[in-house]
Amino acid sequence: MSKKIEVDFGLCESNAVCMGIIPEVFQVDEQDYLHVLQEDVTPENEAQVNEAVRQCPRQAISIVDK
Amino acid sequence: MTAPELRFDPVSQDYFDNPYEIYRRMRDEAPIYYDAEEDFYALTRHEDVAAALKDHEAFSSARGCDLGMVRSEDGPVKSIIFMDPPEHRHMRSLLNKAFTPRAIQSQRETVIELVEHYLSKVDPDNFDVVQDFSGPFPVEVITRMAGVPEEFRQQVRHWIDKGLERKPGQIEWSDENMQANIDSGVYYYGLVQERRRNPQDDMISRLIAAEIPGENGEMRKLDDIEITGFTSLLGGAGAETVTKLLGSAVVEFARHPEQWQMLLDDRNLIPDAVEELLRYVGPVQYNVRYTVKEAHVPSGTIPAHKPVFLMKAAANRDPRAFDNAETFDITRDRTQAQNLGLGYGIHSCLGAALARMETAIALEHLLDFMPRFEVDFSGLQRVNMQNVAGYHHVPVKVLR
Repeated sequence: MSKKIEVDFGLCESNAVCMGIIPEVFQVDEQDYLHVLQEDVTPENEAQVNEAVRQCPRQAISIVDK
Repeated sequence: MTAPELRFDPVSQDYFDNPYEIYRRMRDEAPIYYDAEEDFYALTRHEDVAAALKDHEAFSSARGCDLGMVRSEDGPVKSIIFMDPPEHRHMRSLLNKAFTPRAIQSQRETVIELVEHYLSKVDPDNFDVVQDFSGPFPVEVITRMAGVPEEFRQQVRHWIDKGLERKPGQIEWSDENMQANIDSGVYYYGLVQERRRNPQDDMISRLIAAEIPGENGEMRKLDDIEITGFTSLLGGAGAETVTKLLGSAVVEFARHPEQWQMLLDDRNLIPDAVEELLRYVGPVQYNVRYTVKEAHVPSGTIPAHKPVFLMKAAANRDPRAFDNAETFDITRDRTQAQNLGLGYGIHSCLGAALARMETAIALEHLLDFMPRFEVDFSGLQRVNMQNVAGYHHVPVKVLR
């Protein structure tokens, strides 16, 4: 089992706060689509991914065990 | 000697004049405040307010967002801010693409033009930053986006102010509040009719063309009342909020000239200043929710079927969440806690990016226009309004 990033695209409104925190993982493109570039939560990115989860104004990002 | 009894009266003159002292006592003495007389609860600590904003299943918006409305047997008028999922999600999806940080860049030139226009008309020796500047410009931006013809845009602002005004002791709507809401409703309703005949490239026309899933699962169009409600909400939410934030900004920078100097020295700090203003003097004080079941937050439990004030402005100054929370500091560490000034979760401000951009552009121009200035503190007048706070009058003199 590993930890993965999950985005509720019905909630996401492309505020790009997550991209501001960790652009290696979250990218909002020119058409306002959010791409999760790397869905695995790793020891290296975990702190920043957690920060993105907390700061998302829409509460659209979560971390799930898969 | 004991402290006077802690009482949070959302329509008292004491509260209108200085909400922050009451917030401090509520956070410290009664994190789950209960008002026996009016039978409501209020949350003021950051962790509680944030938890409640996230938990829309327990804390419902469907009965309205102020005490008078939540208690009313009739239920609120149809409006996106008075909805729970899934209706809320359907309505919100109709316009949210227009308000992303990227999409609102298309409004940048308009905002700059309006800011320059209104600043060019003021007398630097004696002007009112709210009446002459931060009042008139934001309403033009949002009503233009909505589709209101130019000659009616300022009128919208006066309807909003009248509709939100509360006299000390007044919880329910007054005749004046009602009349302003009826007048603006009638106006927008007529405009919707007009746009049905002549669609334009504006939000009203987009709402007319849009479809959402109906109760039977089939797609349906919005009716005139729904479009009227949505448009008048946009006009209100998108106008008086930035108006108040900028009025309070000028007051705070007059009290903290060293921070104005920091902005003069480094314009890159403007976005941080906007965030700190939203935290420290954000206009929205609270939104009311209604518990549809027993609700749990870190400080305890709230019974079912009660109005609950979620006091964002109190949470934003909670020392449990922010170091030196009662200090205005544009350089503070913003990762310490979520800024709740624009809400959090499914009802978080749709126009957040627009609000930030308008405020940043306005600050940038004010830095050029009044690098040194003074506020006539004796002339400050605060508003008495439903759930928003700020100043009605902020007299300013530019120093040379």
